Amino acid sequence: MLDFGNFKARDCGNGVGRRSFLKTASALPFAFGAGYGGIDLEAARKLGDRAKAKSVILLWLWGGPSHLDTFDPKPDAPMEYRGPFGVIPTKTDGLQVTELLPQLAKRSHLYSVIRSMQTTNGGHPGAGTVGLTGFEENPTVHPNFGSIMSKHRGRSGALPPFFYLGQGIPRDLPRRIEGYGGGTLGKAYDPFLVSCSENGKVGIPTLDLLPGMTPNRIHNRRGLMAQLDDTSRKLDGDGVDGWNQAHHAAYGLLTDPKARDSFDLTTESQSTRDAYGQTSFGQSCLLARRLVETGVPYVQVNWSEYVETFTPNGDFGWDTHIYNFELLQDRHCPIFDRAFSALLDDMNSRGLLEDTLVIATGEFGRTPKISNRAAREHHKDCYFSVWAGAGIQPGRVIGESDKRGEHPVTEPITPLMMGTTIAELSGIGARERAEMKVLDGGKVINELL
Amino acid sequence: MNFYSFTRGCFFLLGLITAGFSSAKTPLTTDGSNKRDPIFIDGGATLVYGVDENRDLIRLRQLDLDTLESKPYYESANRHHVEVAFSGDGRYISYTECTGNLTAQFVIKDLQEKKDYFVKHSGRGGTRSPAFAPDNSVVVYAFAEKGPQQLWSVDMEAKNKKQLTQCEGISNWPSFTPNGKTIIFSNTRENNYEIYSMDANGSNEKRLTENTIMDIRPVVSPNGKQIAFTSLRNGFYNVYVMNVDGANVRQVTDSEERDDYPTWHPDGRRLAIVSERKGKFDLYMVEVPSSGKITTKR
Repeated sequence: MLDFGNFKARDCGNGVGRRSFLKTASALPFAFGAGYGGIDLEAARKLGDRAKAKSVILLWLWGGPSHLDTFDPKPDAPMEYRGPFGVIPTKTDGLQVTELLPQLAKRSHLYSVIRSMQTTNGGHPGAGTVGLTGFEENPTVHPNFGSIMSKHRGRSGALPPFFYLGQGIPRDLPRRIEGYGGGTLGKAYDPFLVSCSENGKVGIPTLDLLPGMTPNRIHNRRGLMAQLDDTSRKLDGDGVDGWNQAHHAAYGLLTDPKARDSFDLTTESQSTRDAYGQTSFGQSCLLARRLVETGVPYVQVNWSEYVETFTPNGDFGWDTHIYNFELLQDRHCPIFDRAFSALLDDMNSRGLLEDTLVIATGEFGRTPKISNRAAREHHKDCYFSVWAGAGIQPGRVIGESDKRGEHPVTEPITPLMMGTTIAELSGIGARERAEMKVLDGGKVINELL
Repeated sequence: MNFYSFTRGCFFLLGLITAGFSSAKTPLTTDGSNKRDPIFIDGGATLVYGVDENRDLIRLRQLDLDTLESKPYYESANRHHVEVAFSGDGRYISYTECTGNLTAQFVIKDLQEKKDYFVKHSGRGGTRSPAFAPDNSVVVYAFAEKGPQQLWSVDMEAKNKKQLTQCEGISNWPSFTPNGKTIIFSNTRENNYEIYSMDANGSNEKRLTENTIMDIRPVVSPNGKQIAFTSLRNGFYNVYVMNVDGANVRQVTDSEERDDYPTWHPDGRRLAIVSERKGKFDLYMVEVPSSGKITTKR
């Protein structure tokens, strides 16, 4: 089911006022990122054909999940480090996870774990930018890995090439992640934002701009065009150019039956929807599978603005400064364990893991030493990532952290290496990366391949 | 048969054919929203619980067990309320309330005098798991003030704060025996959550479980003879009961989905629990087996 937002007519009177539009227009590139200007689509498709990863799904665990309490437990560390959770074996030699991930433990033959991730920034927005682009803001903001894919592949059909599933750009209280989108490649390569509720209700937030939009109306091409043109006429000069670009992108998506159907989770069997769990993250993972099945090259599922105890009106995800152990045990890990397991099973049974790269990680880990609040703080020096699918040798543990999980004892693996590996597997080789001036100096994580 | 009796009958029949339980069980809700912290009040006529009402609100609701109709416990609440507890006589209610980003306050409400009391601690940690002494002399709860999370107590006006435990690891989920002399709780000093008992003043501690896997949320039965708890000893979140001395562990639920948050009905024969079935979270009533599958240690 599609939802076109919660447009409040009373906020805009008879139409869309300048102030209202400008407020929304500032979000338009995020929502209507197209990423197809000036691209040799035929060449890009050929490159995509030779890639091991035709699509990428990134499960972005915003906030910084604790590595010790998930994929890198330290049961022999001193009590003030190891945490309260027992460890359980997996199907992978040398890989134990905490008891909070029983379903993923049974599926470790489908993925590999990196335990030696390291980043350069210990704050959320900064580390988020590093995690999604490979580089610090200096102040240039490099493109998101999905934007690089977007420029390389271009658009094929009505669907944009780069989706964000969640509740907007991940942010903390002061600001958002600047590395959310196109960066130096331009806003044309920003992600297309879509939300998904725990009931599988899909929303396109920026279509709030269109008063009275209903699913029935989008079947009527003439009606939709009239509505879009009417909205455009009510704008003054500042916003018209952006609006025209945006509404054509939206129009293409909304009037294409195949594109619309890709958002309709009700066409899935109930058992499939149940398997992912009745959570917004779970249903977003299912939507991600549908999008890559339709051919979308890059989908980033954000653990974003999910109801979090004691962080109201915020977007803190796995940022568990208080109640770390309670939240992981009661909420985050059960939801993640179920949704990620269902995604792996579903992708595997459909053969999609053959040519889809699936990654789960956050912007950093959490302090191995338990804080005075019986929780864990930010930790940039060591964290985890999980890799599955196209070109990845599953069932491996790559890298190693020290006895307390504070630092890697093997070569640190960085977000830049992560982005370079994504690019390489996606058919964006060194020459193409150099031509796009992206991921400069990045190395492939060869141990994964 | 009136409508409500019919509704309950339908739920009961539905319960009989639902898989994943070692004992007979009955669904109490069917909306599937994420739920937590159920607790009986009004002599077992009402079940209070927390639910994810929307992205920014965990709300307390009360379920009438005769009609199975649910309504907000506090209609005007606009902050998270979690880990609710009631005194045995129903005079007091306690819970943790979110007051902002990473901040919370521990509230004790005297419903008779209509007064609110707030427990003060240094630091920005969060309180956990309040439990009222049967004689309303104290509320015991968990809090990490300077490192290891300990059990504390305050009186009904949130005064006379005392630290009850001085142990390593994380302590949580205190539960009084009906005579008020013993507190059952979990602690992690042995590498994972194990269940312990101690005298109400913090002395005479005994270990009741021994696993490499967590045993959490112990709750003493109304007659003081049994403890219900959640454990992952069979690989998944399931509910168990054991004697108050730790003997005779019996498995109540048996599912690869999650069964958690056990709370005793006042009749001492049934538990309300939160069960995840097909990815949806609902409240169920389940019979406590007097004998049955003895669980293995892990």
